[in-house]
Amino acid sequence: MVRSMSDLALLVPELILAGMALALILAARRIQETPVAVIGTVLASMAAALASGWVLSWGAKTGFGGMITVDGYSQFFKVLIAATLALAALLSERSLDGEQVPRAEYHALLLLASTGMMLAVSSRDLVPLWLGLELMTLCSYILVGIRVERPASNEAAIKYFLLGSFASAVLVYGISLTYGVTGTTDFAGIASVLSKHGSGSNLLLLAAIGLVAAGLAFKIAAVPMHAWAPDAYQGASAPVAAFLAAGSKAVGLAALGRVCLAVFGSEARVFSVILAVLAGLSIVVGSILALSQTDMKRLLAYSSIAHAGYALLGLIAGTAEGASATMTYAFFYVFMTLGTFGVVAALGERGEKLDGYRGLAAQRPGIALLMLLFLMSLTGIPPTAGFAAKFVVILSAVRAGHIALAVLAVACSVVSAFFYMRVAVLMYMNAPKEPAPSRFPGPVFAALAVAALVTLIGGISPGSLAPWTAPP
Amino acid sequence: MTAYPVLTTTTFLPLVGAALILVFGSERLARWIALATTVATLAVSAPLYWYFDKASSALQFVESADWIPSLNIAYGMGVDGISLPFIFLAALLSVLCIGASWTAVQTRVREFYAALLVAETAMIGLFAASNLFLFFVFWELMLVPIFLLIGVWGGPGRVYAAVKFLIFTLSGSVLMLVGVIAIYGACGTLDFKALALARASLQPEQQAWLFAAFLAAFAVKVPMFPVHTWLPDAHTEAPTAGSVILAGILLKMGAYGFLRVSLPILPYGVQLFLKPMLFISAVAIVYGAYVTLVQTDVKRLIAYSSVSHMGFVTLGIFTLNRSGVEGAILQMINHGIVSAALFLCIGMIYERTHTREIKNYGGVAKTAPVYSTLLALFCLAAAGTPGLNSFVGEFLIIGAAFKTQAWLGVMAVWGVALGTTYIIWLYYQVVMGEMNPDLVGLKLELNAREVATLAPLALLAVCLGLYPEYVLSYLRVPVARLLAAGVTP
Repeated sequence: MVRSMSDLALLVPELILAGMALALILAARRIQETPVAVIGTVLASMAAALASGWVLSWGAKTGFGGMITVDGYSQFFKVLIAATLALAALLSERSLDGEQVPRAEYHALLLLASTGMMLAVSSRDLVPLWLGLELMTLCSYILVGIRVERPASNEAAIKYFLLGSFASAVLVYGISLTYGVTGTTDFAGIASVLSKHGSGSNLLLLAAIGLVAAGLAFKIAAVPMHAWAPDAYQGASAPVAAFLAAGSKAVGLAALGRVCLAVFGSEARVFSVILAVLAGLSIVVGSILALSQTDMKRLLAYSSIAHAGYALLGLIAGTAEGASATMTYAFFYVFMTLGTFGVVAALGERGEKLDGYRGLAAQRPGIALLMLLFLMSLTGIPPTAGFAAKFVVILSAVRAGHIALAVLAVACSVVSAFFYMRVAVLMYMNAPKEPAPSRFPGPVFAALAVAALVTLIGGISPGSLAPWTAPP
Repeated sequence: MTAYPVLTTTTFLPLVGAALILVFGSERLARWIALATTVATLAVSAPLYWYFDKASSALQFVESADWIPSLNIAYGMGVDGISLPFIFLAALLSVLCIGASWTAVQTRVREFYAALLVAETAMIGLFAASNLFLFFVFWELMLVPIFLLIGVWGGPGRVYAAVKFLIFTLSGSVLMLVGVIAIYGACGTLDFKALALARASLQPEQQAWLFAAFLAAFAVKVPMFPVHTWLPDAHTEAPTAGSVILAGILLKMGAYGFLRVSLPILPYGVQLFLKPMLFISAVAIVYGAYVTLVQTDVKRLIAYSSVSHMGFVTLGIFTLNRSGVEGAILQMINHGIVSAALFLCIGMIYERTHTREIKNYGGVAKTAPVYSTLLALFCLAAAGTPGLNSFVGEFLIIGAAFKTQAWLGVMAVWGVALGTTYIIWLYYQVVMGEMNPDLVGLKLELNAREVATLAPLALLAVCLGLYPEYVLSYLRVPVARLLAAGVTP
């Protein structure tokens, strides 16, 4: 039930994306062979990003009976989601060419998934949060399997779907237990009921917290809820994998941050233990399993698992400052991971295998340099955004007293240097085996340039993001 | 004082040059752009030496700007008498590296010079940084260009050497990152000057851990025994310019770190680790010298001799007395000059013979008198001959070592004796005796460009040997202040 037009106005960015998705589906027959879909998607994402800022300019507000909120936190992530969508759409140009993928539907699914993401980051109630996440995940299942001619793609979609449904069930179960304990699904309501309980006293509540955390951990692919990511990324086309790695992770982190601070704030002790375990496991497992990969997308999947762990370091503290650190991490991570996947996508078949990078620097020095920049950033070497991001989350972990976890995290970043720099070794220190890749299409190049620019500026001027990282 | 921000200009001019090379630049143009950039960098740094006030221990030419206001981290540059000579050395060696690579590097020329220039920015920036954050950024910025220099343009075992270098140095520096963050967490600032005042808020136990964290990074870079094993591989496989930068500047970054971070900020930590540090320094001197004696590869020999010579540096620093620390800094500069020169000499002859095995040489003096004379000069300097530069530093360090513990002095003298042995043996095998038949017919004599490349270093070796006061006068005040304020907790 819509209470008034002003409630709807809070959802302008979501409405723009959903509207464009519907328009693309309606016009699908006519625009299949044209670039209309990608242009429409990029324009819609730009409009949504602008609208997110515009809505915030009225001040922080809640609507729909307190279910939806617009604050600095939600709008920060909405802009990030819009950017992810735009870059993923631009990167798709190359990989859609050779495939039997319906363009309009593909872009409509990207748009709808982004709508779900935006809804999720705006939620102040567990039910719309779940709805938003489900909309995102359902569209993602289809996107992973959209290359119907490829068995690998189908297999990945089915695996992702099975594990994903399980995780959604876990999340819903956690939500229902929370409702059972507190009698409400509203964030503020839950928090006020919980603050009257003694913390850690209620077993049912502990179970609820664990289940909610596990359900959200699936979205960011944190260990032990990570098993879907390598298969899904490998089976999906590179731009879809990029969209999942960047978007799904950002939204999962946003949801975890809000739940951690605004809902279970009084249970911070329990929640921080859960998050510390998730973070430590993700960093170690992700870094070590990535070592033996020979498929580039699988390698990046494990790398994204490790990065989920690094991002969680900020939330462990349970402070506003820590949440800002995680926001910074999520922001920079999105651009560097989109950039890396972008290079993978741009190289086509050659980019999928690690061996395909042999001698790339001799053939295409510019592309190799871009890739080197993204790899440095993923490793956390200055002057790149990855270093700035790592600095703030580790600072947050050290301030929370988790020195051992901080040392573990940096030790694993040395392990990660081993596999990131292996790509650099292949690019720079081996002779090429395959013919030089063809010139990249303009849209792909534009997306890579944007990602590289953010990665570089984030490293040179790490403070530039600070005014916008407002915790919930 | 000056019309432009000298330190910032000096630091980032090479980066501009690197960008120019990548944007324009055919291969031919790339060489000239690189040469012009490094010469210009040396030129714009001139006011540093001209206007420097030797009587002041404070940082000079200070530049400060907001950088990350949310974390209270500023962009800060400044030099004192300790860092200034290294900026000069880095700028000078960069010019010589271009000269040494002019014909030696024929593949992917643009990227080579770009990497070299990025490395120059990192080197100069490290010594010019006035806060720990910037220090760390430049420290890490050094990593990738050197990794590429070794791995792309190096010898047969280059990939192994490059990866080993990367993993060793990164392992050390990530622990330093935790140290930097922990210091920031405890003191709320990373400015060197403010930290020297705020160090009271670091508990002795914390200082011990922090010292260990920084030690991990510095010890790998110096390199100290037993984490020196990356060095022989990296120095040997690197192209000449890479070896020069590694031996000339990169090794000094670690020792400089002790002087800039450990001594002033972590006095308790220094006291706690003093004995082990002196011990492993002495081990490095003697062990390094013995290992050097048995090398059969020219570059490897010089590389291992660096382990021994850098042992003198850490020994001098941790004697914590004035002549020891001054001698250590002087030794850093002298080693930077001499080992860089030796690597240049070896690179020049390698370009003609394509062998690094000592047994493939012999009798070079017969056809290359100028080369042999210059090599003799540098070998004598490396052996610590009085009248040449290394003598003064080693003499000061040995004196300080005897004052601290007699056996340290004995070890150091032993190291000098062994050092003379291997370097004279090397010279004898390569230059003297009968001409090796393989070398007959090769044009071994240096050309004008190569002589010009070596000449500045030869001049420095002689001048600093005859008049070390020129460097020592810069060191006197800051070292006195460092020891007065720093090490007594």
